[in-house]
Amino acid sequence: MSKPVRFGVCLVVFAIFVLPLFAMVVVAFTPRASLFDGGASLWPSSWTLDNFRTAFDNYPVARWFGNALLVATLTTILSVVVNLLAGYALAKMRFRGRSVVFVVILSTLVVPTQAVMIPQFELVARMGLIGFFWAVVLPSASTALGVFLARQFFVSFPDELIDAARVDGCGPLTAFRRIVLPNTRPLVAVMVLLAFMTQWNDFLWPLITLRDPDLYTLPVALRFLQGAYDADYGGIMAVALLSSLPLLILFVLLQRYFVAGLTRSGLRS
Amino acid sequence: MSTTTTPAQDDALDPGGAGGVPPEEARADRPERSRPPRRWQSAAAWTMLAPNLVLLGVFLVVPLGWAIVMSFQAKRSFGPGRWNGLENLGRLLGDDVFWRALLNTAIFTAVCVPVAVAAGLGLALLMNKALPGRGVFRTVVYLPIVVSTLVTSLIGLLLFDETVGIINGVLRDLGLGQVAWQTDGVLAMTSVIIMTLWTRIGFAMIIYLAALQDLDPQLVEAAELDGASRFNVVRHIVVPTLRPTTFFLVVINMIWSFQVFDIVFVMTNGGPGYDTTMLVTYAYDEGFGPARNFGYGATVGVVLFVITTVIVVFQVRRNARREEA
Amino acid sequence: MPIALGRRSVLSAAALGATAAFSGCAGLTERVSSTSRGGRDRVTLQVYGTDTETRIYQRLADRFSEQNKVTVDVTVVPFSDFATGVDAGLLSGTAPDVFRVDYPTMGLYAGTEQLLDITDALDELVSDTRSAFMDAVSTGDRYYGVPQHVDTSALVYRPDLLREAGITAVPDRPEDAWSWEEFGEVADKLRDAAPAGRSAFGVNWQAAGAFRWLNWVFQAGGNMYNEDLSAAIIDDDAGRRALDFTTSFFDNGWVPATTSTKSATYPDALFTSGTLSMLFAGNFLIPAFAETIADRFEYAVTYLPRDQRRASELGGNAIVANRDAGNPELATELMVFLASREAMAEFCSEAVLLPTRDSLIEQGLDFALRPDLMPVYTDMITTIEDRDVADVTTPTFAEVNVDLANELEQSFLSGRSTDDTLATLADQVTASAYLNEGSA
Repeated sequence: MSKPVRFGVCLVVFAIFVLPLFAMVVVAFTPRASLFDGGASLWPSSWTLDNFRTAFDNYPVARWFGNALLVATLTTILSVVVNLLAGYALAKMRFRGRSVVFVVILSTLVVPTQAVMIPQFELVARMGLIGFFWAVVLPSASTALGVFLARQFFVSFPDELIDAARVDGCGPLTAFRRIVLPNTRPLVAVMVLLAFMTQWNDFLWPLITLRDPDLYTLPVALRFLQGAYDADYGGIMAVALLSSLPLLILFVLLQRYFVAGLTRSGLRS
Repeated sequence: MSTTTTPAQDDALDPGGAGGVPPEEARADRPERSRPPRRWQSAAAWTMLAPNLVLLGVFLVVPLGWAIVMSFQAKRSFGPGRWNGLENLGRLLGDDVFWRALLNTAIFTAVCVPVAVAAGLGLALLMNKALPGRGVFRTVVYLPIVVSTLVTSLIGLLLFDETVGIINGVLRDLGLGQVAWQTDGVLAMTSVIIMTLWTRIGFAMIIYLAALQDLDPQLVEAAELDGASRFNVVRHIVVPTLRPTTFFLVVINMIWSFQVFDIVFVMTNGGPGYDTTMLVTYAYDEGFGPARNFGYGATVGVVLFVITTVIVVFQVRRNARREEA
Repeated sequence: MPIALGRRSVLSAAALGATAAFSGCAGLTERVSSTSRGGRDRVTLQVYGTDTETRIYQRLADRFSEQNKVTVDVTVVPFSDFATGVDAGLLSGTAPDVFRVDYPTMGLYAGTEQLLDITDALDELVSDTRSAFMDAVSTGDRYYGVPQHVDTSALVYRPDLLREAGITAVPDRPEDAWSWEEFGEVADKLRDAAPAGRSAFGVNWQAAGAFRWLNWVFQAGGNMYNEDLSAAIIDDDAGRRALDFTTSFFDNGWVPATTSTKSATYPDALFTSGTLSMLFAGNFLIPAFAETIADRFEYAVTYLPRDQRRASELGGNAIVANRDAGNPELATELMVFLASREAMAEFCSEAVLLPTRDSLIEQGLDFALRPDLMPVYTDMITTIEDRDVADVTTPTFAEVNVDLANELEQSFLSGRSTDDTLATLADQVTASAYLNEGSA
């Protein structure tokens, strides 16, 4: 294919991929009246901020943002900590049953959360976690992907550094804290991005467990708004746009790290 | 860790390998002074693993076992379960809706996986070479990855809504008729698949682009010097080199496809009729719908688990055989 | 540079987490209230509903707490999936003390012994309420809630469009209600007169409203269950006649295809946007119409069409209490208060809902909006028979409702035969009917 042709094809691809996002933005700024009068269009006759205003007036949108941020942050911290520790142990320590543990953790990748959601729900309810964010945070913290990423990173971590620490009389935990941890920043960056993005966007489990509008994260809130607004797409799209903006901006700014994270999550498995 | 054990360690971590216990000789080789006692290391390792294993055990392994138990019980949301043996499974096998959901999931998977992977490869090849604005083009294809499936589904509704949606609006303006995106089964499935692909192609493309960086440019150049057409280069050199990547993408896309929920739940709710009902939406409806039939919902979930496992194991085996060959 | 990024994001994430943890403890160290239980001097009340309804609930709750020197915590939740929250609460012993519930869902809770038995406190209410309505909140001979209000459907229409189509006479007396055949002729005329993009009518049987299809069955002289609720009898002649007729709505192009039972959107939006000439609509929509239609076009209401008999559905909501309520006496008092003559009159007249007390029905309420429309609804309510109520308040009706939505759509949109659909439906309904034992 010659360059102009390739460029042309790219333009078409661009148009196709950008259309849904474009539609979301346009409709978010379309007056309610013109949506009901002849449906949504890609270029409304007038623009308005009313959809945002009414959404904030009628619903605790700011609170939902706070919830989403809190839940994603807590999950990310917990997730990075437990997965990092486990990945290190699996890569650098020797103990009976190590490979069994690793295989078991990896194989949980195959268990669809949807397959266990019913007993998981009853369990979480009986533990009294319903009504707390912990109902979402705790079950999402330990992930096979996180352990896998951490282990892959530590396998290629130079043994000499750790051994040197041991020669200096450090125990394995001290060695981990003093020598290994300070060198894990690229790994942590990737794990943070992936965990945060996953939790920010997660829907089914929060839907099941966060039964109070005051606890909703953004995807659950959007589902709620879908019911509340029915066919009034303006209000829905306004909140949908706001809920997507943080990650979209973050992505455009930090594209390299996202790409690195996603590739690493995939390539070497 | 001493260098002598590195190869053994990697073997031990291979799931198909000889098992996890490091060879005993390794310990004998080890100079005692540079090592903490083995028991100590083992204790430290389990300490580091503990938080992870506890969370996994409590929130995944226990529920999985419980799901299996529930699938042999008549159980509603309240009250204890009553053993009913294989009754749930019997109902499942005789349940037209289950088979319909399985068929729909299979169709959804059979379309989404190849299209996502092929389109991802096509776009990766297209955007691998220098091109003005390449960064922008790539970014736009990636962007849907960070958009939540809920937002994707709502945008899908906005686009495909039969009465006030954008696509029908444009068709109307062009003087073309309405398209029955929501009331015709095939078209409803199509709309769900389109929105799913929108989020998946970018991921395939990212992975392929990374893999293409590992491709030996000399190999391609040599082939091109030999007069091979672009198509033949792709077919005989690029595609085989990318096989591990393709394998990964196929497996992960299959897992995702079998677990599709959000988009269907929001866009079609399984309708019209059962035309877009999937295994997970069906399990959700049974377990969390008004019926709260936990026993039967769990049975659908367990069957979903078994099917996913079988497919993944089958794929991994086949891939292993192909690599040996 | 990844290294810098890593540190910054970890630090800022940690800072954010810490800030959040210390600034507000709700959801972290403190349970959020819709699933919490009250105590000796505190009762929790969970409701859903329109803005008008929730406002009145809050006002009534304030009055109750003032009169009794106790605290009433009101939580408003969305109707969609509200019951799963209650489920979780009941499972973990933290359900709200008192909550609003629709009649089918109430059947499930009452049938599994999750609700507080308040029979002894209801003598006064029972003496002023029709048995059909009290049946809706009873299991066996015990009462587990108060029927706060009922809703039903009638046929809302646009006189202007009917006149255009040459339909001059619309029934204004119950005994003149259109027969199915007459209704079909009206729909034909409307369809033929309508420009592209407008349909004759829409029916309100979407999602949880699927049971409104039973109106047609009742009108044809049929029922869902046999007398003792042990098996479905829906695949009889009445069921066939009802399904044939309702399927013809789609085949004849009377209704938009997007208004089937599993549609994601409700047809009232179509009516307000002017693409329907008539709409089967519940009285609870009147406040919404007053706002969204305002004066854009004229609308009026007439009786549902009749066949062998006249019939309409029992919609509406009850107030019930959790069996493990923090203070059962207080919870009972709150329920009795909400069902009192004054509170019911206030609630129903403002929210345009139908009261269940005979004295209020006879007296007639001073409805806040479009009081001219309400006599038709009040009359439609009287067509409900005890057996129709029994059909939709079994412990399993909530799932039957889902079966209805799924199976009917097969006939409406996918061309499955009436016999197949009814046979499947009857199988499904009969399969779960054993759970109805003892509730007849």
